[in-house]
Amino acid sequence: MADTTARKRTLAPWMGLLLTVLGALSNGLPFIGFPAAPVPWISLLLSLIGLVVVLLGLWRAFGQSTVYKGKLSGSVVAAFSLLLLAGTIFYFWGARHIPAESAAAPQVGQRVPDFTLPDSTGHSVSLTQLLSGLAGKEPPKALLLIFYRGYW
Amino acid sequence: MPVAISVDAPGVSENLRRKRGYTFPFLSDPKADVIRRYELLHPRGSPDGTDISRPAEFLIDRSGTVRWENFTEDIRVRPRADELLAAAHAIQ
Repeated sequence: MADTTARKRTLAPWMGLLLTVLGALSNGLPFIGFPAAPVPWISLLLSLIGLVVVLLGLWRAFGQSTVYKGKLSGSVVAAFSLLLLAGTIFYFWGARHIPAESAAAPQVGQRVPDFTLPDSTGHSVSLTQLLSGLAGKEPPKALLLIFYRGYW
Repeated sequence: MPVAISVDAPGVSENLRRKRGYTFPFLSDPKADVIRRYELLHPRGSPDGTDISRPAEFLIDRSGTVRWENFTEDIRVRPRADELLAAAHAIQ
């Protein structure tokens, strides 16, 4: 005799969804000072574990439907966490998809090519000028050229 | 002294510089000429699909010789300050 009210709820899909959400949010960890290197992997791992937990919940709801309820909610939650996981994987791939054609970039021990570019006030400045010191200042011991993606 | 280089227009860089309080120069390479010459172009790398620079850092001494460099394999992973400082201290 299957009494629907006596069936247990399973929290597994919700726990799984929470993990995939945390996985997506973990991409923001470097912004609060967390070391960036492990973050892509933490994010991917959390999301994958989340999906496994969601699938456990689905298996309970469908495979053991006399014990557990939640077929509908479990399916909806599974769809959401799958979407989130897809997003996480897409971002993981995209963030690492940097062209590897920098083989001819200046190597340690080589001299970098000189260049002249406008600074943020529009004045042209060359690398040679920067190396010999700006506006009568002491020449710097070294320069750190930071090429960055831009500000948006 | 740090020198920042991107495809951003001077005005955009000036905003960023002021907002963060940086005092070092920000250079503009809107056509990515220098970025290309340094072999750092990331074609269609920006969110709106324009060509930008991949993140890269070169520590050069007074002669313009590279003493340390860093290319990231993941745009979320940036250079470690301790490595950079160690390389900088080695330059006399």
